[in-house]
Amino acid sequence: MVRSRITFGRDVGLQARMLLTMFLLGLLYVAFVVVLLQSGAQATMMLVIVGGMVLAQLFLADKLALAAVGAKEVEASEAPALHAMVERLCIQADLPKPRIAVADTPVPNAFAMGRSQKKAVVCATTGIMRALEPHELEGVLAHELAHVKNRDCLIMTIASFFATVAAMITQFGFFFGGGFGHGGGSDDDDGGHPAILVVLLVSVAVYAISFVLMLALSRYREFSADRGAALTTGRPSALASALVKISGVMERVPDQDLRAVGRMNAFFIVPTSVKTTVRSIFSTHPPMEKRIARLEQLEIELQRA
Amino acid sequence: MGFLDALLGGRRKLTAPAPDRLFAMTTAQVTLEVELGLRHRNVAGVVFQPLATSDFREIASETDELLRSAGKDTGTTVETADDEFGYRWIVLRDSDFEDLVVSLNTVSTQIQGGGYGDRLLCCVFAFEEEGRPVYLIYNFKRGAFYPFVPVGGSDHRRDNERELRLKAQLAAELPIEQELERWFPLWEIPL
Repeated sequence: MVRSRITFGRDVGLQARMLLTMFLLGLLYVAFVVVLLQSGAQATMMLVIVGGMVLAQLFLADKLALAAVGAKEVEASEAPALHAMVERLCIQADLPKPRIAVADTPVPNAFAMGRSQKKAVVCATTGIMRALEPHELEGVLAHELAHVKNRDCLIMTIASFFATVAAMITQFGFFFGGGFGHGGGSDDDDGGHPAILVVLLVSVAVYAISFVLMLALSRYREFSADRGAALTTGRPSALASALVKISGVMERVPDQDLRAVGRMNAFFIVPTSVKTTVRSIFSTHPPMEKRIARLEQLEIELQRA
Repeated sequence: MGFLDALLGGRRKLTAPAPDRLFAMTTAQVTLEVELGLRHRNVAGVVFQPLATSDFREIASETDELLRSAGKDTGTTVETADDEFGYRWIVLRDSDFEDLVVSLNTVSTQIQGGGYGDRLLCCVFAFEEEGRPVYLIYNFKRGAFYPFVPVGGSDHRRDNERELRLKAQLAAELPIEQELERWFPLWEIPL
């Protein structure tokens, strides 16, 4: 049997860290659910409500995302080159064709959304199409298609489920606490106050920890998508040069534009507020130098084949 | 791709070519010509992603040599062109349809033999119906064919009705791609 020459091995370290992060997140969530269930019906109700919200988010995420950046879907006749590029990449990545959207903004960026491979939408800004050479743009689009292939939208939404529950309880906790204490009156509410306090404290902790874990997960998935893009195009250096170009431009773009699209950072190819100083655990994307260094490593592996 | 691979985002390699069903085209061509009145245009092409590595370049030039030396016997001519998206087309011309299919198979076998089968995109067969081009595209990764009938003009429209009718007409002859969202067009086909 003929084997594939380029496999880029497996990034064991990356996958181990991703698995560990998901495990910790899972553990945290299980503990959280136990506390919630112990505390009574109010919290269970919350789970159901947030479950509905997350489901709605899964089904509406693509539309909301497009609306948030003012992007509109384009037909093949409106953006023939972009369509043709994505089509070839789809054949190569073995994906059904996603919908394609363009946002008319000078901010050079791209993102992919959608709950499944068949319902995906890939969006590029007019800025990125102007800034990059065709093979660089291809690298960026391949990165977004790798997100689609890896089902990142679904995984990040599921991962954020309990974080959302915790966030809601943290925000509305005092209100609920008040409701418990003074509502009805006839029911026995002994133990109600301490339980609510515990839930509140646990929620704050879960929110804080899951926030950091989710960011870590998001960064790992960026590396994975870079790797997937390099594999699909066979040109790791093209994506690297795209990243160099975009990051350079990003820092010169005025802040107002950045804030307008700031909410969707996790799904962009480059976060819109890249500042050389922000390089902590509080970012959705790994630092640019690290991404470029890894792509260089992939190019070395490719040339060695 | 497995569930764990999706969960860990760790795709190791691209989808490899499906078991080769390219030769199904030789019998289908008879049906196309005799029953449907579609004449082949004595030309077919194979598209792949050329890698900028010395190893791949060597395989590509070996393939080219192989095709040219075989062409001396069969009369098949070979042209190579890179399109604007960076993909390489090997265009083969021969009035004998079977020779065309054999030559296409030579390319795919060479590239797969070198370990780069996952870089193969598709084969394109050019037919003509009442002066209009009709293409049949073979997707290596899916191991399936689909029709592509562009309507002339620069606005990239395709005749979906004719394509769907071809699907029905060829269903018995060819493995047809069942998912319509994978009927990827190829514009500016150099055939």
